[in-house]
Amino acid sequence: MVGIFIIGIIMLAAAVAVIVVRQPVHSALALVGVTLGLAMIYLILQAEFLAVAQVIVYAGAIMVLFLFVVTLLTAGKEETETKDLLSGQRWASVITGLVVGVGLAVVIATHHPTKLATSLSSSFGGLHPIGQELWGPYFLLLAGVALMLLTGAIGVLVLNRTEGTKAPRSRPLPHGVSVSDGEGESRP
Amino acid sequence: MGYLIPEVLLAGGALLALLAVAMLPNAKNLGSWIVLLAMLAAGVDAASMWGVTAKLIMSDTMAIDKYSILVTEFVLLAGASSLLLAWNADRFGAELPPLMAISVLGMMTLGTAANLMVVFVGIELLSLPLYILAASTRTRAGGEAALKYLLLGAFSSGILLFGMALLYGATSSLTFVVYPAITAANTWLLWSGLGLVLVGIAFKLAIVPFHMWVPDVYEGSPTPVTHLMAFGTKVGAAIILLRLLAFGFYGQDGSWGTLIGYLAVLTMIVGNLLAVPQLNLKRLLGYSGIGHAGFLLVGIATHSVDGANAMMFYLLPYGLAAMAVFGVLRLIEGQGDEVTLSDLRGMAYRRPWLAAVLIVGMLSFAGIPLTGGFVGKFFLLQAALFASQPGLAVGIVVGTLVGLFAYLRPLQMLFQRTEVSAKVQHLRWSVAGAVVLGVAVVGTIGIGVYPAPLVHIVSQSANFYWLTGG
Repeated sequence: MVGIFIIGIIMLAAAVAVIVVRQPVHSALALVGVTLGLAMIYLILQAEFLAVAQVIVYAGAIMVLFLFVVTLLTAGKEETETKDLLSGQRWASVITGLVVGVGLAVVIATHHPTKLATSLSSSFGGLHPIGQELWGPYFLLLAGVALMLLTGAIGVLVLNRTEGTKAPRSRPLPHGVSVSDGEGESRP
Repeated sequence: MGYLIPEVLLAGGALLALLAVAMLPNAKNLGSWIVLLAMLAAGVDAASMWGVTAKLIMSDTMAIDKYSILVTEFVLLAGASSLLLAWNADRFGAELPPLMAISVLGMMTLGTAANLMVVFVGIELLSLPLYILAASTRTRAGGEAALKYLLLGAFSSGILLFGMALLYGATSSLTFVVYPAITAANTWLLWSGLGLVLVGIAFKLAIVPFHMWVPDVYEGSPTPVTHLMAFGTKVGAAIILLRLLAFGFYGQDGSWGTLIGYLAVLTMIVGNLLAVPQLNLKRLLGYSGIGHAGFLLVGIATHSVDGANAMMFYLLPYGLAAMAVFGVLRLIEGQGDEVTLSDLRGMAYRRPWLAAVLIVGMLSFAGIPLTGGFVGKFFLLQAALFASQPGLAVGIVVGTLVGLFAYLRPLQMLFQRTEVSAKVQHLRWSVAGAVVLGVAVVGTIGIGVYPAPLVHIVSQSANFYWLTGG
């Protein structure tokens, strides 16, 4: 129990750091802290497979992807803070977020454990039971997720189409003016 | 397994269309034809299942009943009309038909959902293709629309998932149709979970505190995609909200009925009010869609069989009117992506037929007699009064009155005796567009004049007899 609290505090701190630090690389590293904390909670719950998958997929693959993107996009660029368009929006969001978050935390913490209708099965989080669930009752949902991943792949192709292949970047409007979507242009 | 043939047909159509456009890039409209045929086949197959007795399939995760079949038909209509509006337009890209098919598949999944996991997969299947389609013309506005939709959609999905986790903790089941049997579950944990789930769905349905994304996304997206968002997404989100509350939480309507009622009134009035000053027609339709989401909520808030029927009924006239208006916009915009109010000037004299279709659609949105929109609003009003909730009835009336201003302004433009705009001058009819407009007009006026068949069908499908009045 104490372990979960300690990990929780570490995860919360890391999550806050993701938002507040200036450098995107530091944000990505703080996110690694969050995912590792989650993996440790899985370990405490004796869900070894989930813990390992969490580390390999999130801390491994996805973080590396993030770091690559961050390095490619922000190399040699100065980050400047954009001005708030609505004044006070930042504080309003912080206060609302805190109220909702603390409220939910109180609700969950005061929920008596005996009333918690769910108890973990002894095989929770292992490779075998997860496979049985996925390929048994939830097989159609697995197919749905497969379609989702396919959609994501198509999305990458569609949105990264380079000039001259299919849809042109700019096209003439009926009035004969052409609008290009170049940088720094404000839209009418 | 035979109950899921429509879904399988549509998924197969999407995959086949993907392969076809990759293998034969020069065959015009091949992908669209494949997906359209798959949609027609799915519609016919779903209709042939009409006599089915309600049952849970796939280890109690999906429900097949007349409700799910009717939802399937509605969203297939939405999908097919969006597809026809994008017919022959290469600039949307060859991926548009399969992506639309996957999105419609998500909506169909929502119609059958009896389990929170299915709800989540359905919502994501519905949304992911729309994020991509919003940016598919690669305009600056389209990119902005897609990014806004993606970011806000991701947040709402997170909230939805958190709520589902709490519901699972409180009830130890993800199958929400069994919730009423779990009597010990009446705890704060359950209500927090339900609240978060409602927020997630309200975002998709564009209920007022969560409506900010709608106008920008509608404006930036290509018109056929906007039509799919306006018709299909609204159907999907509204029917899952009704199913979740009517099946999972029907005994405890005192706790959520009032909340939904207040949101309904707020949404009806704010949405229609914000539609009034809009100059861009797609923005206007965005705000009008928010207002219509409010009308749909009235049916849920009354918590009665009448209300459920009225909401289900309202979806079809709303969708048909959207088909008419978006079809006209699509014809006017031609190669562009934008139609403003001033583009409509003098259209009634130059293009009388097109103007007539626009008038029918707008009047149906506004709820003028002899159109389907009037009958739909009439049933909602009736349900609100039968449930003795006069506040909702007043809300409907005020919302309709405000909406009337918004919808009559474009119509007034049609009759201005000035030179028509260049867009209207160079407008060209297309067969696919004419089909959509024809179905929309016949349907709208047909439901307005002779609603009895649809009333009969709806009363069989949304027959949640265990709901109590008030």
